[in-house]
Amino acid sequence: MSDSKQTVVVVDDNATVRALFERSTENLKLDLISFGSAEAAMEYLGENKPDLLFLDIIMPDKDGLTFLSELRRLPLHRDTAVIMITSKDYAQDRTVANELGALEFITKPMPMRAISDIITNYINKENPYN
Amino acid sequence: MAKSYLRFWGVRGSYAAPFPTHLKVGGNTSCVEVNVDDHVLICDAGTGIIPLGNRLVAEAKNKELLILLTHYHWDHICGLPFFVPAFIPDWNINFFGPGESIQEMKQKLDSQMQAPYFPVGTETWMAKINYVNPRETKLSVGPIDISYYSVHHPGVTYGYKIKAANKTIIYVSDNECQFLDKSIKQKMTEFSEEEQQMFEDMNREEYEYELKTIHGADILIHDAQYTPEDYETKRGWGHSCYVDVVNYAIDAKVKELYLYHHDPYNDDDAIDKIYEKCQLIIQERGAPLVCKVAREGLEIDLD
Repeated sequence: MSDSKQTVVVVDDNATVRALFERSTENLKLDLISFGSAEAAMEYLGENKPDLLFLDIIMPDKDGLTFLSELRRLPLHRDTAVIMITSKDYAQDRTVANELGALEFITKPMPMRAISDIITNYINKENPYN
Repeated sequence: MAKSYLRFWGVRGSYAAPFPTHLKVGGNTSCVEVNVDDHVLICDAGTGIIPLGNRLVAEAKNKELLILLTHYHWDHICGLPFFVPAFIPDWNINFFGPGESIQEMKQKLDSQMQAPYFPVGTETWMAKINYVNPRETKLSVGPIDISYYSVHHPGVTYGYKIKAANKTIIYVSDNECQFLDKSIKQKMTEFSEEEQQMFEDMNREEYEYELKTIHGADILIHDAQYTPEDYETKRGWGHSCYVDVVNYAIDAKVKELYLYHHDPYNDDDAIDKIYEKCQLIIQERGAPLVCKVAREGLEIDLD
Protein backbone atom coordinates (compact mmCIF):
# COMPACT_ATOMS: atom_id res chain seq x y z
CA MET A 1 0.00 0.00 0.00
CA SER A 2 1.32 3.48 -0.84
CA ASP A 3 1.78 6.32 1.66
CA SER A 4 -0.65 8.60 -0.17
CA LYS A 5 -3.98 9.24 1.54
CA GLN A 6 -6.93 7.25 0.33
CA THR A 7 -9.99 9.04 -0.97
CA VAL A 8 -13.51 8.63 0.33
CA VAL A 9 -16.36 10.34 -1.53
CA VAL A 10 -19.79 11.07 -0.02
CA VAL A 11 -22.74 11.95 -2.25
CA ASP A 12 -25.76 13.19 -0.28
CA ASP A 13 -27.96 16.26 -0.76
CA ASN A 14 -28.40 16.55 3.02
CA ALA A 15 -25.71 18.93 4.35
CA THR A 16 -26.01 17.48 7.88
CA VAL A 17 -25.15 14.01 6.58
CA ARG A 18 -22.08 15.42 4.88
CA ALA A 19 -21.12 17.18 8.13
CA LEU A 20 -21.65 13.88 9.99
CA PHE A 21 -19.11 12.21 7.71
CA GLU A 22 -16.63 15.07 8.26
CA ARG A 23 -16.99 14.67 12.01
CA SER A 24 -16.82 10.86 11.90
CA THR A 25 -13.61 10.80 9.89
CA GLU A 26 -11.64 13.67 11.41
CA ASN A 27 -9.24 11.26 13.11
CA LEU A 28 -8.76 9.08 10.05
CA LYS A 29 -5.96 9.79 7.58
CA LEU A 30 -7.91 10.12 4.38
CA ASP A 31 -9.20 12.67 1.93
CA LEU A 32 -12.96 13.10 2.31
CA ILE A 33 -14.66 14.74 -0.66
CA SER A 34 -18.37 15.55 -0.42
CA PHE A 35 -20.95 16.35 -3.07
CA GLY A 36 -24.45 17.71 -2.51
CA SER A 37 -25.79 16.70 -5.91
CA ALA A 38 -25.61 13.69 -8.18
CA GLU A 39 -24.65 15.87 -11.14
CA ALA A 40 -21.60 17.39 -9.40
CA ALA A 41 -20.54 13.96 -8.16
CA MET A 42 -20.83 12.41 -11.62
CA GLU A 43 -18.69 15.17 -13.09
CA TYR A 44 -15.94 14.40 -10.54
CA LEU A 45 -16.30 10.64 -10.93
CA GLY A 46 -15.98 10.94 -14.69
CA GLU A 47 -12.24 11.33 -14.16
CA ASN A 48 -11.57 10.14 -10.62
CA LYS A 49 -11.84 6.79 -8.89
CA PRO A 50 -12.19 7.05 -5.10
CA ASP A 51 -11.18 4.22 -2.81
CA LEU A 52 -14.66 4.21 -1.30
CA LEU A 53 -17.89 5.89 -2.38
CA PHE A 54 -20.91 6.52 -0.11
CA LEU A 55 -24.08 7.14 -2.04
CA ASP A 56 -27.50 8.41 -0.93
CA ILE A 57 -30.62 7.15 -2.74
CA ILE A 58 -33.25 9.92 -2.63
CA MET A 59 -31.60 13.01 -4.09
CA PRO A 60 -33.30 15.91 -5.88
CA ASP A 61 -31.55 15.53 -9.21
CA LYS A 62 -31.21 11.72 -9.45
CA ASP A 63 -31.92 8.69 -7.32
CA GLY A 64 -28.82 6.90 -6.12
CA LEU A 65 -29.71 3.50 -7.60
CA THR A 66 -30.02 4.95 -11.10
CA PHE A 67 -26.80 6.88 -10.43
CA LEU A 68 -25.01 3.66 -9.47
CA SER A 69 -26.34 1.86 -12.53
CA GLU A 70 -24.97 4.64 -14.76
CA LEU A 71 -21.69 4.67 -12.86
CA ARG A 72 -21.16 0.94 -13.41
CA ARG A 73 -21.32 1.49 -17.17
CA LEU A 74 -18.13 3.53 -16.95
CA PRO A 75 -15.09 1.22 -17.27
CA LEU A 76 -13.35 3.24 -14.53
CA HIS A 77 -16.04 2.32 -11.99
CA ARG A 78 -16.90 -1.30 -12.73
CA ASP A 79 -15.28 -2.27 -9.44
CA THR A 80 -15.39 0.97 -7.44
CA ALA A 81 -16.26 0.18 -3.81
CA VAL A 82 -19.72 1.62 -3.14
CA ILE A 83 -21.80 1.74 0.05
CA MET A 84 -25.39 2.99 0.03
CA ILE A 85 -26.49 5.37 2.82
CA THR A 86 -30.21 5.97 2.87
CA SER A 87 -33.36 6.48 4.89
CA LYS A 88 -35.06 3.93 2.56
CA ASP A 89 -35.05 0.69 4.49
CA TYR A 90 -36.70 -1.57 1.91
CA ALA A 91 -35.75 -5.06 0.75
CA GLN A 92 -36.34 -4.13 -2.90
CA ASP A 93 -33.77 -1.32 -2.71
CA ARG A 94 -31.29 -3.61 -0.95
CA THR A 95 -31.69 -6.20 -3.71
CA VAL A 96 -31.13 -3.66 -6.49
CA ALA A 97 -28.11 -2.17 -4.69
CA ASN A 98 -26.69 -5.65 -4.22
CA GLU A 99 -27.20 -6.48 -7.92
CA LEU A 100 -25.32 -3.28 -8.78
CA GLY A 101 -22.40 -4.37 -6.64
CA ALA A 102 -22.90 -2.17 -3.57
CA LEU A 103 -20.90 -3.62 -0.69
CA GLU A 104 -23.22 -2.51 2.09
CA PHE A 105 -26.58 -0.83 2.60
CA ILE A 106 -26.60 1.45 5.64
CA THR A 107 -29.80 3.05 6.86
CA LYS A 108 -30.05 6.49 8.43
CA PRO A 109 -29.61 7.46 11.19
CA MET A 110 -26.16 5.89 11.45
CA PRO A 111 -23.92 6.64 14.46
CA MET A 112 -20.49 8.21 13.88
CA ARG A 113 -18.70 5.13 15.18
CA ALA A 114 -20.44 2.97 12.57
CA ILE A 115 -19.27 5.32 9.82
CA SER A 116 -15.63 5.37 10.96
CA ASP A 117 -15.62 1.58 11.49
CA ILE A 118 -16.98 0.80 8.06
CA ILE A 119 -14.51 3.17 6.39
CA THR A 120 -11.59 1.66 8.32
CA ASN A 121 -12.77 -1.80 7.38
CA TYR A 122 -13.00 -1.23 3.63
CA ILE A 123 -10.29 1.34 3.12
CA ASN A 124 -7.64 -1.08 4.34
CA LYS A 125 -8.67 -3.82 1.95
CA GLU A 126 -6.69 -4.06 -1.26
CA ASN A 127 -9.81 -5.10 -3.13
CA PRO A 128 -13.05 -5.20 -1.16
CA TYR A 129 -14.67 -7.37 -3.83
CA ASN A 130 -12.27 -10.22 -3.11
CA MET B 1 -62.29 25.45 -26.71
CA ALA B 2 -62.43 22.13 -24.88
CA LYS B 3 -62.43 22.13 -21.09
CA SER B 4 -59.56 21.30 -18.78
CA TYR B 5 -60.05 18.77 -16.01
CA LEU B 6 -58.52 16.07 -13.85
CA ARG B 7 -60.43 12.83 -13.43
CA PHE B 8 -59.86 9.90 -11.10
CA TRP B 9 -60.26 6.55 -12.91
CA GLY B 10 -58.71 4.34 -10.23
CA VAL B 11 -58.05 5.23 -6.59
CA ARG B 12 -57.17 1.92 -4.89
CA GLY B 13 -53.76 0.75 -3.84
CA SER B 14 -52.42 -2.81 -3.85
CA TYR B 15 -55.21 -4.64 -5.71
CA ALA B 16 -58.58 -3.96 -7.31
CA ALA B 17 -61.50 -4.04 -4.88
CA PRO B 18 -64.76 -4.33 -6.85
CA PHE B 19 -66.81 -5.16 -3.75
CA PRO B 20 -70.33 -3.83 -3.12
CA THR B 21 -69.11 -2.24 0.11
CA HIS B 22 -66.38 -0.29 -1.72
CA LEU B 23 -68.14 1.15 -4.76
CA LYS B 24 -68.86 4.66 -3.45
CA VAL B 25 -65.09 5.24 -3.43
CA GLY B 26 -64.37 2.78 -6.23
CA GLY B 27 -62.47 -0.43 -6.77
CA ASN B 28 -60.02 0.21 -9.62
CA THR B 29 -56.31 0.67 -8.97
CA SER B 30 -54.28 3.83 -9.64
CA CYS B 31 -55.07 5.91 -12.69
CA VAL B 32 -55.63 9.66 -13.09
CA GLU B 33 -56.35 11.56 -16.30
CA VAL B 34 -55.25 15.16 -16.75
CA ASN B 35 -56.93 16.63 -19.82
CA VAL B 36 -56.19 20.13 -21.10
CA ASP B 37 -57.92 21.10 -24.35
CA ASP B 38 -58.01 17.40 -25.32
CA HIS B 39 -54.30 16.89 -24.65
CA VAL B 40 -54.25 13.75 -22.52
CA LEU B 41 -51.84 12.92 -19.74
CA ILE B 42 -52.35 9.68 -17.83
CA CYS B 43 -50.80 9.08 -14.42
CA ASP B 44 -50.31 5.35 -13.79
CA ALA B 45 -51.83 2.37 -15.54
CA GLY B 46 -53.67 0.42 -12.89
CA THR B 47 -57.04 -1.14 -13.70
CA GLY B 48 -58.53 2.37 -13.89
CA ILE B 49 -56.83 2.83 -17.25
CA ILE B 50 -59.12 0.18 -18.78
CA PRO B 51 -62.36 2.23 -18.69
CA LEU B 52 -60.32 5.35 -19.54
CA GLY B 53 -58.98 3.59 -22.65
CA ASN B 54 -62.50 2.58 -23.67
CA ARG B 55 -63.69 6.17 -23.36
CA LEU B 56 -60.71 7.54 -25.32
CA VAL B 57 -61.41 5.12 -28.17
CA ALA B 58 -65.12 5.97 -28.16
CA GLU B 59 -64.36 9.71 -28.36
CA ALA B 60 -61.28 9.44 -30.63
CA LYS B 61 -60.49 13.14 -30.16
CA ASN B 62 -56.72 13.00 -29.70
CA LYS B 63 -54.85 9.79 -30.43
CA GLU B 64 -51.55 10.92 -28.89
CA LEU B 65 -51.14 10.08 -25.19
CA LEU B 66 -48.44 10.33 -22.54
CA ILE B 67 -48.58 7.74 -19.77
CA LEU B 68 -46.48 8.47 -16.68
CA LEU B 69 -45.64 5.53 -14.45
CA THR B 70 -44.66 6.21 -10.86
CA HIS B 71 -43.09 2.74 -10.64
CA TYR B 72 -43.70 -0.80 -11.86
CA HIS B 73 -45.58 -2.49 -9.02
CA TRP B 74 -48.54 -4.46 -10.34
CA ASP B 75 -51.27 -2.13 -9.14
CA HIS B 76 -49.76 0.62 -11.33
CA ILE B 77 -49.29 -1.32 -14.59
CA CYS B 78 -51.83 -4.16 -14.53
CA GLY B 79 -54.37 -2.29 -16.68
CA LEU B 80 -52.02 -2.06 -19.66
CA PRO B 81 -52.73 -5.54 -21.11
CA PHE B 82 -56.37 -4.43 -21.45
CA PHE B 83 -55.77 -0.84 -22.59
CA VAL B 84 -57.57 -0.82 -25.94
CA PRO B 85 -55.79 2.18 -27.59
CA ALA B 86 -52.53 0.20 -27.47
CA PHE B 87 -54.06 -2.38 -29.83
CA ILE B 88 -55.23 0.13 -32.49
CA PRO B 89 -52.79 1.13 -35.27
CA ASP B 90 -53.32 4.87 -35.50
CA TRP B 91 -52.75 5.66 -31.83
CA ASN B 92 -49.45 7.11 -30.52
CA ILE B 93 -48.68 6.11 -26.96
CA ASN B 94 -45.70 7.52 -25.08
CA PHE B 95 -44.49 5.97 -21.85
CA PHE B 96 -42.29 7.52 -19.20
CA GLY B 97 -41.18 6.02 -15.91
CA PRO B 98 -38.17 5.26 -13.72
CA GLY B 99 -35.26 3.45 -15.27
CA GLU B 100 -31.74 3.81 -16.47
CA SER B 101 -32.54 3.19 -20.14
CA ILE B 102 -35.38 2.83 -22.62
CA GLN B 103 -34.60 -0.90 -22.82
CA GLU B 104 -34.99 -1.30 -19.08
CA MET B 105 -38.34 0.51 -19.08
CA LYS B 106 -39.59 -1.55 -22.04
CA GLN B 107 -38.46 -4.80 -20.45
CA LYS B 108 -40.39 -3.99 -17.28
CA LEU B 109 -43.62 -3.41 -19.19
CA ASP B 110 -43.06 -6.36 -21.53
CA SER B 111 -42.51 -8.82 -18.73
CA GLN B 112 -46.03 -8.69 -17.27
CA MET B 113 -47.44 -9.74 -20.66
CA GLN B 114 -45.05 -12.62 -21.24
CA ALA B 115 -45.96 -16.30 -20.92
CA PRO B 116 -47.07 -17.78 -18.62
CA TYR B 117 -48.55 -14.59 -17.16
CA PHE B 118 -50.54 -13.41 -20.19
CA PRO B 119 -51.67 -14.96 -23.51
CA VAL B 120 -50.29 -12.24 -25.82
CA GLY B 121 -47.21 -10.03 -25.53
CA THR B 122 -46.61 -6.34 -26.19
CA GLU B 123 -45.64 -7.27 -29.76
CA THR B 124 -49.40 -7.44 -30.37
CA TRP B 125 -49.73 -3.74 -29.57
CA MET B 126 -50.57 -2.14 -32.93
CA ALA B 127 -50.27 1.47 -31.78
CA LYS B 128 -47.04 3.37 -32.25
CA ILE B 129 -45.35 2.88 -28.89
CA ASN B 130 -42.62 5.27 -27.81
CA TYR B 131 -40.60 5.01 -24.61
CA VAL B 132 -39.39 8.45 -23.56
CA ASN B 133 -35.74 8.43 -22.55
CA PRO B 134 -35.79 8.09 -18.75
CA ARG B 135 -32.89 10.56 -18.55
CA GLU B 136 -35.17 13.37 -19.75
CA THR B 137 -35.72 15.74 -16.83
CA LYS B 138 -38.60 17.77 -18.29
CA LEU B 139 -41.57 16.38 -20.17
CA SER B 140 -44.60 17.86 -21.83
CA VAL B 141 -47.76 16.94 -23.65
CA GLY B 142 -49.40 19.88 -25.41
CA PRO B 143 -49.59 22.71 -22.88
CA ILE B 144 -48.99 20.38 -19.89
CA ASP B 145 -45.47 20.49 -18.38
CA ILE B 146 -44.15 17.75 -16.13
CA SER B 147 -41.17 17.25 -13.85
CA TYR B 148 -40.51 14.48 -11.34
CA TYR B 149 -38.62 13.54 -8.21
CA SER B 150 -37.86 10.42 -6.17
CA VAL B 151 -40.14 9.48 -3.29
CA HIS B 152 -40.00 7.08 -0.36
CA HIS B 153 -41.28 3.72 -1.62
CA PRO B 154 -39.58 0.38 -2.34
CA GLY B 155 -37.56 0.55 -5.57
CA VAL B 156 -37.10 3.70 -7.63
CA THR B 157 -40.45 5.51 -7.48
CA TYR B 158 -41.36 8.95 -8.76
CA GLY B 159 -43.69 11.72 -7.71
CA TYR B 160 -44.81 13.97 -10.55
CA LYS B 161 -45.23 17.74 -10.58
CA ILE B 162 -47.66 18.71 -13.32
CA LYS B 163 -48.34 22.24 -14.52
CA ALA B 164 -51.67 22.28 -16.30
CA ALA B 165 -54.07 25.14 -16.99
CA ASN B 166 -52.22 27.45 -14.58
CA LYS B 167 -52.55 24.90 -11.78
CA THR B 168 -49.78 22.97 -10.04
CA ILE B 169 -50.77 19.36 -9.48
CA ILE B 170 -48.59 16.98 -7.48
CA TYR B 171 -49.22 13.28 -8.05
CA VAL B 172 -47.65 11.03 -5.42
CA SER B 173 -49.43 7.70 -5.50
CA ASP B 174 -47.01 5.81 -3.25
CA ASN B 175 -44.88 7.47 -0.59
CA GLU B 176 -44.09 6.72 3.03
CA CYS B 177 -44.17 10.11 4.77
CA GLN B 178 -42.00 10.82 7.79
CA PHE B 179 -40.06 7.54 7.60
CA LEU B 180 -36.74 9.08 8.67
CA ASP B 181 -38.41 10.95 11.53
CA LYS B 182 -39.78 7.69 12.90
CA SER B 183 -36.46 5.85 12.40
CA ILE B 184 -34.66 8.55 14.40
CA LYS B 185 -37.26 8.55 17.21
CA GLN B 186 -37.06 4.74 17.48
CA LYS B 187 -33.28 4.79 18.00
CA MET B 188 -32.76 8.14 19.73
CA THR B 189 -31.67 6.70 23.09
CA GLU B 190 -28.84 4.78 21.40
CA PHE B 191 -27.06 7.98 20.35
CA SER B 192 -24.75 10.51 22.00
CA GLU B 193 -26.00 14.06 22.60
CA GLU B 194 -23.95 15.30 19.66
CA GLU B 195 -25.41 12.64 17.39
CA GLN B 196 -28.94 13.35 18.60
CA GLN B 197 -28.51 17.02 17.66
CA MET B 198 -27.09 16.10 14.24
CA PHE B 199 -29.93 13.67 13.53
CA GLU B 200 -32.51 16.27 14.50
CA ASP B 201 -30.83 18.69 12.08
CA MET B 202 -30.68 15.98 9.41
CA ASN B 203 -34.38 15.23 9.86
CA ARG B 204 -35.37 18.92 9.77
CA GLU B 205 -33.37 19.43 6.59
CA GLU B 206 -34.97 16.38 4.99
CA TYR B 207 -38.49 17.53 5.89
CA GLU B 208 -37.82 21.08 4.67
CA TYR B 209 -36.73 19.66 1.32
CA GLU B 210 -39.92 17.56 1.14
CA LEU B 211 -42.07 20.60 1.97
CA LYS B 212 -40.31 22.71 -0.64
CA THR B 213 -41.03 20.06 -3.28
CA ILE B 214 -44.81 20.38 -2.90
CA HIS B 215 -45.04 23.90 -1.44
CA GLY B 216 -48.18 25.81 -2.38
CA ALA B 217 -49.48 23.17 -4.78
CA ASP B 218 -53.05 23.73 -5.95
CA ILE B 219 -53.78 20.02 -5.91
CA LEU B 220 -51.90 17.28 -4.04
CA ILE B 221 -52.92 13.70 -4.79
CA HIS B 222 -51.17 11.64 -2.14
CA ASP B 223 -50.97 8.10 -0.79
CA ALA B 224 -53.05 7.89 2.42
CA GLN B 225 -53.38 4.13 2.59
CA TYR B 226 -53.06 3.49 6.31
CA THR B 227 -54.76 4.34 9.57
CA PRO B 228 -52.45 4.83 12.59
CA GLU B 229 -53.39 1.28 13.66
CA ASP B 230 -52.49 -0.16 10.23
CA TYR B 231 -49.22 1.74 10.23
CA GLU B 232 -48.08 0.16 13.48
CA THR B 233 -47.84 -3.21 11.73
CA LYS B 234 -47.05 -1.99 8.21
CA ARG B 235 -44.26 0.52 8.77
CA GLY B 236 -41.70 -0.06 6.03
CA TRP B 237 -44.26 -1.15 3.42
CA GLY B 238 -43.85 2.16 1.57
CA HIS B 239 -47.21 3.81 2.29
CA SER B 240 -48.37 6.70 4.42
CA CYS B 241 -50.64 7.06 7.39
CA TYR B 242 -53.29 9.70 6.66
CA VAL B 243 -52.34 11.65 9.82
CA ASP B 244 -48.84 12.27 8.44
CA VAL B 245 -50.19 13.17 5.01
CA VAL B 246 -52.65 15.78 6.29
CA ASN B 247 -49.98 17.37 8.46
CA TYR B 248 -47.52 17.30 5.55
CA ALA B 249 -50.05 19.05 3.27
CA ILE B 250 -50.83 21.67 5.94
CA ASP B 251 -47.13 22.34 6.59
CA ALA B 252 -46.52 22.74 2.85
CA LYS B 253 -49.46 25.16 2.47
CA VAL B 254 -51.11 22.96 -0.15
CA LYS B 255 -54.53 24.23 -1.23
CA GLU B 256 -56.38 20.96 -1.90
CA LEU B 257 -55.40 17.47 -0.75
CA TYR B 258 -56.94 14.34 -2.27
CA LEU B 259 -56.51 11.22 -0.13
CA TYR B 260 -55.49 8.51 -2.61
CA HIS B 261 -54.28 4.92 -3.00
CA HIS B 262 -56.90 3.65 -0.56
CA ASP B 263 -56.29 0.34 1.12
CA PRO B 264 -58.56 -2.31 -0.47
CA TYR B 265 -59.24 -3.55 3.06
CA ASN B 266 -61.03 -0.25 3.82
CA ASP B 267 -64.67 -0.12 2.71
CA ASP B 268 -66.65 3.07 2.09
CA ASP B 269 -67.53 3.46 5.78
CA ALA B 270 -63.91 3.09 6.86
CA ILE B 271 -62.82 5.73 4.34
CA ASP B 272 -65.62 8.06 5.56
CA LYS B 273 -64.13 7.74 9.05
CA ILE B 274 -60.62 8.52 7.74
CA TYR B 275 -62.05 11.60 6.02
CA GLU B 276 -63.75 12.78 9.24
CA LYS B 277 -60.53 12.36 11.21
CA CYS B 278 -58.63 14.36 8.58
CA GLN B 279 -61.17 17.19 8.95
CA LEU B 280 -60.61 17.15 12.72
CA ILE B 281 -56.83 17.50 12.27
CA ILE B 282 -57.37 20.43 9.89
CA GLN B 283 -59.79 22.10 12.34
CA GLU B 284 -57.46 21.56 15.29
CA ARG B 285 -54.61 23.16 13.39
CA GLY B 286 -56.81 25.98 12.11
CA ALA B 287 -55.51 25.36 8.60
CA PRO B 288 -57.17 26.50 5.36
CA LEU B 289 -56.43 23.14 3.67
CA VAL B 290 -59.29 21.60 1.70
CA CYS B 291 -59.15 17.81 2.04
CA LYS B 292 -61.23 15.38 -0.02
CA VAL B 293 -61.38 11.66 -0.68
CA ALA B 294 -60.26 10.74 -4.19
CA ARG B 295 -63.05 8.58 -5.54
CA GLU B 296 -63.56 6.94 -8.90
CA GLY B 297 -65.30 9.26 -11.36
CA LEU B 298 -64.54 12.43 -9.39
CA GLU B 299 -63.68 15.21 -11.82
CA ILE B 300 -61.86 18.42 -10.86
CA ASP B 301 -62.37 21.44 -13.08
CA LEU B 302 -58.97 22.97 -13.93
CA ASP B 303 -60.32 26.02 -15.79
